[in-house]
Amino acid sequence: MSMLAQQPVRFNWAVIVDNLPLFFAGLRLTIVIAAVSFLIATVLGVMVALARLSRFRIVAVLAAGYINVLRAIPLLVFIVFVYYGIAIFFNLTFLTAIQAGMLAFSLQYSAWLGEIFRSGIQAVPKGQREAALSVGMSRAQTFVTVVLPQAVRIAIPPTGNMMVGMIKDSSLVYILGVPELFRNAQLLANRTFRYFEVYLAVVITYLLLTTGVYYAMKFLERRLEPRDLLATGVPAWSPFARRRQARLQRVQEQVREGVVAAI
Amino acid sequence: MMDRGTEPDEASGPEPITTPGSDPLTTGGEVVLNLRAIHKWFGDNHVLRGVDLEVRRGEHVVVFGPSGSGKSTLLRTANLLEVPQSGSIQLEGVEYGPGLAGETRNRRTARALRQRVGMVFQQFNLFPHLTVLDNVSIALRRVKRVAREEADLKAARQLKRVGLLPKLGAYPGQLSGGQQQRVAIARSLVMDPDVLLFDEPTSALDPELVGEVLAVMRDLAEAGMTMVVVTHEMGFGREVGDWNVFMDEGVIVEQGDGRIYTDAVEARTRDFIKAVL
Repeated sequence: MSMLAQQPVRFNWAVIVDNLPLFFAGLRLTIVIAAVSFLIATVLGVMVALARLSRFRIVAVLAAGYINVLRAIPLLVFIVFVYYGIAIFFNLTFLTAIQAGMLAFSLQYSAWLGEIFRSGIQAVPKGQREAALSVGMSRAQTFVTVVLPQAVRIAIPPTGNMMVGMIKDSSLVYILGVPELFRNAQLLANRTFRYFEVYLAVVITYLLLTTGVYYAMKFLERRLEPRDLLATGVPAWSPFARRRQARLQRVQEQVREGVVAAI
Repeated sequence: MMDRGTEPDEASGPEPITTPGSDPLTTGGEVVLNLRAIHKWFGDNHVLRGVDLEVRRGEHVVVFGPSGSGKSTLLRTANLLEVPQSGSIQLEGVEYGPGLAGETRNRRTARALRQRVGMVFQQFNLFPHLTVLDNVSIALRRVKRVAREEADLKAARQLKRVGLLPKLGAYPGQLSGGQQQRVAIARSLVMDPDVLLFDEPTSALDPELVGEVLAVMRDLAEAGMTMVVVTHEMGFGREVGDWNVFMDEGVIVEQGDGRIYTDAVEARTRDFIKAVL
């Protein structure tokens, strides 16, 4: 038995505290990469979903191909391919490592999100479209006022999962040397040899980030749950809901008292 | 002001053309909705085999028959939720369907037809993400471009008419089936349709909730609303039906006034009525 093995493990949190600026710089970049990529992916995803459901067969087939190809490539491989394979090889100097990473994320996540949005749209019962059409709405009005709002609610939980996935996957761009949270931690650990403390801090940071997103989504789901705005008489807590409540009350009272009997 | 003293349900009637209690059929209203030679296939399945149906203003047409007889499909072609492969669908003389050969075609869109022909579904199909009030007012706002304030008041008037004014802030999921169907009726009424179609409006309801929906429909009938009702409620059909249509296997087997329930000519009609009444 060597002396080294018998030494008690001693945590040294000073390594984190002393390097907080490095840590936070990485965290900031992680959040930026995840947020921007996810935003672009959402916009692309809506377009992919609509294309996939298009009446024009060619458009639908192309969208299906896009989804299938992008989903089939491992994300890490795709990131490396976009940066080294395309950006470097074709000498696209305007495409930095960060941008290449975000491009890879946006494309691949748009395929996943596109499928989520498509299934959300298709999950809205056929009777809803028929009811909207039967009161004379156009196809576009039917989609915007009846189908889409319901599809969004159906799609929120799986979209939240994708958002959590995006935060975690953003660490993959460490391979391009992008100084995000994980990459910076790696550098710090290699320099100080405090692997346990540094990586534990990284794990906890990701945990806090993803848990935060999880609860934010839960909150959003609850907010969108319909409840009778007049049933209890308790004033709604948001100014927006209070205004709606007041409007409903006004209409109800006017009609109840027969003020508008002539209409 | 003048309306205040009278019964609200009567006052809000969509321009009744007959006094309540009188039989619209005897007044001989003109044909509003005219379906001729309607053929509809689902794949190889020929579900409507040349159906003709006239609906007169203020008339209450009841369509009955065994399931799979094509009665719901017929109703759905009347507002083009199902587009027939051939046949004429005319509302006040204007063609909306494929049309018949040899007739002048100034066809208009399904959308224009649906704005004047309301539909009440078996499964209600209320919009679950909108309040009861918005369910009723949304079409006025989107389709007829009525301002929100006015649309809300009109919608609330119709909700009062079906007895659901207190529920205007609720969402459909918080209502009973009977209440939901009454909201659905208000949603159709608010568009002030020429004809109101009912596709088995009580079939999805618990037995104890059927009565409240039929009561609303009875009020509408008495107010002179032109109605086409596909129903299994033979008692109700017998009560409000001015014109009664028995369908089987994609054709109209027999049609006529209330005597069809007691003195049907066709054996198939008699057998069906005997089985369900």
